[in-house]
Amino acid sequence: MAVPLIFNTIEQSGISRWLRESQSIFGFYFILLFHTIGMSMVVGANAVVDLRILGVARDIPIHPLKRLFAIMWTGLGINVTTGLLLLTAYPTKALTNPDFYIKLSFIGLAVFIMYRMNVRVFGDSSLSEAAMVAKGKIMAKWSLVFWIGAVGSGRLLSETARYFFYGHPAGG
Amino acid sequence: MNYAHLHLLLNHVPVIGSIVGLGLFLISFFGKNEDLRRSSYIIFAAVALVTIPTFLSGFGAQQMIKGPGVSDALINRHEGSALLSLWFMELTGAIALIGLWQSQATAPPPRWNVSAVMLFSVLTVVLMARTGNTGGDIRHPELRPGAEATAAEPTTITEGTIGAFIHKFEPDPDKFSDAMTFSKWWWTFMMAAHFLGLILIVGTVGLFDIRIMGFLKQFPIAPLHRLLPWGLAGLAVNIVTGMLAFAGRPENYIFSIALWLKILALLLLGLNAAAFYLTDVFGKVENLGAGEDAPISAKLIAASSLFLWFAVITMGRYIQPLTDTLLGTN
Repeated sequence: MAVPLIFNTIEQSGISRWLRESQSIFGFYFILLFHTIGMSMVVGANAVVDLRILGVARDIPIHPLKRLFAIMWTGLGINVTTGLLLLTAYPTKALTNPDFYIKLSFIGLAVFIMYRMNVRVFGDSSLSEAAMVAKGKIMAKWSLVFWIGAVGSGRLLSETARYFFYGHPAGG
Repeated sequence: MNYAHLHLLLNHVPVIGSIVGLGLFLISFFGKNEDLRRSSYIIFAAVALVTIPTFLSGFGAQQMIKGPGVSDALINRHEGSALLSLWFMELTGAIALIGLWQSQATAPPPRWNVSAVMLFSVLTVVLMARTGNTGGDIRHPELRPGAEATAAEPTTITEGTIGAFIHKFEPDPDKFSDAMTFSKWWWTFMMAAHFLGLILIVGTVGLFDIRIMGFLKQFPIAPLHRLLPWGLAGLAVNIVTGMLAFAGRPENYIFSIALWLKILALLLLGLNAAAFYLTDVFGKVENLGAGEDAPISAKLIAASSLFLWFAVITMGRYIQPLTDTLLGTN
């Protein structure tokens, strides 16, 4: 399948080149750093909620855990922003890699569960703790599975790239 | 200062530290002294932490002294020995930390824990002594036995009975490095585990820190504190995967200023934890209920913990772009 020319257009743009080539410490690795920070916020906070629902540290009150969703959504916002910037830097490398779509699918599923948990389990303050645990148990399990899948497939990206740039196959 | 200085500065700590720890532990064991046992556990944990930069600096020192007049065979033997003793030191430190966690309320830890510390600290002392000894042989021909002593670069090594026995368990450093990097799947697995460890640390320690700092006050402190073993498990995963990745590609890490700043931040986190648990600060916050405010001393410690973890992640991310920052300084 031919690689769409638009990827080349993006790569040749000023912002894409700056993101890739700038020697500034606020260039590519700065974006990557905040992609990592955002990840630790969204997955870290979500994992704590999941673990509590699955029975870890049972004396943590469940209702106030609702506040952690603000941290998760903030982390997700950081990662959508930094993710789009990283994609601008290397559109061909990311979009020609099947693993990139696997990663996005995992993230989509995990965020969908995060949203449902926010609404169904934490949206109704009249629910008892036992009812919240009962409602959230299956969601919590799958949430952990999908986030582990997202992190794992994310780390695999650099190992599975087919192209470095437009017209530059990896390993070629 | 260069890597050789740094390695010489640090390399006596694991050897002497583990011996001092074991000495205190044995006295506490036979004298049934809980305070002394706690002290020995703290020493084991602290020495395990300092052993990390000791190990790392060894690779830098090796790069510096390599060449005529220095035996590669002796260096390899020392490196293999260090690769073995490192894990026993870290394991002893981890078991000691578990023991400290389980005996928070001054009660003695479970019997299995005391037995495990006894076993692994003795093994660690033996292996560390071997590592120190093989390291000394590299630059001190006067310490070597018989024929080796007269040769500037011995290519064959004569081992004593104990040395020969331990050597059977020591990995070949080159093969060990290759084993870490031969498969992209194994490498990715290690990196993914390193990130999941990071997530566990930030999720649990970060949450605990911001609660003490005065956010999310709906939570009482004690139950959040019970999440910390998950963060410590994440730290254990990250020490193991971090050291394995380093042993796989030492040249990718050793010359980066970011690696050393990351290690410095980790050592400061050790001091920060000591300031929290070994003073009266922990006692002041452990029973705070929902809505209650922590004293300023606790808030400062929590804020510096959060800052230092941020520094650890930042420096970890900048290892790669800063890879060659230390090449010219030797």
